[in-house]
Amino acid sequence: MCSSAHRHSLHCILPPYILSRMAENGSPDIREKAMRTLLVDPTIRIIRASTAGPVTGTIARRRAAAGNILTPSPLRTIRDAGNAPEAPGAIIARREGDPPTGDVAVNEAYDGLGATFDLFWEAYQRNSIDDAGLPLDATVHYDQDYDNAFWDGTQMVFGDGDGELFNRFTISLDIIAHELTHGVTEKEAGLAYYSQSGALNESISDVFGSLVKQRMLGQSADEADWLIGAGLFTAAVNGAALRSMVAPGTAYDDPVLGRDPQPGHMDDYVRTNEDNGGVHINSGIPNRAFQLAAVTIGGFAWDKAGRIWYNALLDPNTRANTDFAGFARITIQVAERLYGPDSAEATAVADGWRTVGVI
Amino acid sequence: METSSADANAVTGEASVKVEGGIAHFPGRARKQMVSFDELDPPQRQEIASLADEGGFFTCTPALQATRPDARTYTVCLTINEQSREICLTEPIADPALAKLVSVVRRLSSGRAAAGAR
Repeated sequence: MCSSAHRHSLHCILPPYILSRMAENGSPDIREKAMRTLLVDPTIRIIRASTAGPVTGTIARRRAAAGNILTPSPLRTIRDAGNAPEAPGAIIARREGDPPTGDVAVNEAYDGLGATFDLFWEAYQRNSIDDAGLPLDATVHYDQDYDNAFWDGTQMVFGDGDGELFNRFTISLDIIAHELTHGVTEKEAGLAYYSQSGALNESISDVFGSLVKQRMLGQSADEADWLIGAGLFTAAVNGAALRSMVAPGTAYDDPVLGRDPQPGHMDDYVRTNEDNGGVHINSGIPNRAFQLAAVTIGGFAWDKAGRIWYNALLDPNTRANTDFAGFARITIQVAERLYGPDSAEATAVADGWRTVGVI
Repeated sequence: METSSADANAVTGEASVKVEGGIAHFPGRARKQMVSFDELDPPQRQEIASLADEGGFFTCTPALQATRPDARTYTVCLTINEQSREICLTEPIADPALAKLVSVVRRLSSGRAAAGAR
């Protein structure tokens, strides 16, 4: 890396996360030099791994280089499918900057995408799904009696629920954040949606879904409910949420839906071909590892624990087929790089994975 | 396969769907839902038959596509006037008629499944 010191002198002296801070907060001259150094480096993802520090996206870097304040916009577009099974919906209901409409699902989707964008930008300096300002598109009122939400590769899609068991799927902020995070994962590690890598994919969406909700509510790790999808069930369902990160397997127990099948320890790992190899079942294990680490570390979970998980997601060693143990090792390494080999944070992360039987 | 409203009563058969995937795994919903045409009103039978015809249900080659996160996969089986076929469709379903067919079969069959379970 230092063989080209005449072009990368600043980089060779300073790690990229310090360069990023300089680019954001330095004097115009310092910012320009820092941005130039960051921009010429083609191996930004490798650098992320070696430093585990935040790196701004392309658009953010361009704005910084131009001397603008780093305040990118989420560029939201919410469409209405009119209860037809088609996405994107035919009607544009709200664009970025438009005032609220009279449609609660439209407004919840708009606000939820904004809150998620804000977490990734303000906590991790990530500019949207692709870290390059990708516009955020969503479709609401998808299909009739549709009890689901999903990421289709280009947008987030939300049903209204059937009204008997499920409310509208925009009602839970963490569900909106969960879907957007699938886009982030797809752009970064690309975790394959099957078996352990798929369960990790799901868990990462739950982690950042919960963090968006906690941040919106101003909750510390020990104040959070760590529930995913609270509010989705109607009063007819015997259950609190879709999943519990603190106590997997306890979120619901209902005559129609059945009992929450999530394990919280590798001893109870479920081997199945259903649910894409149990992606929504075994995600309880890494979910609990994160929750344990976050509570042990203390404070706001998005601050340290979230930063560790985010940088682990960006780490080049996190690949499409990474399993629980592989991801555990990466999170521990990232924690050691960020906070020190013997730090309380690195110990908390290792203990979390150990408690759930992954290491 | 196309039927007029006049002969909708003559349409016989059954429809079933098994839903996999989605934002959570619900064991109580991980079973095939079925509805006999005998339980449906003539317009409902007509709609299923028309959508099956429009979407080429009995002749199409379903596209193989990777499952998107939280998207559902539907295993749909239709028997209409003794012609029978089962195909798998993953969201987002590109063909509008097939997407609507899945929606109709899902709703007509799930109402009966839920009523029986509670």
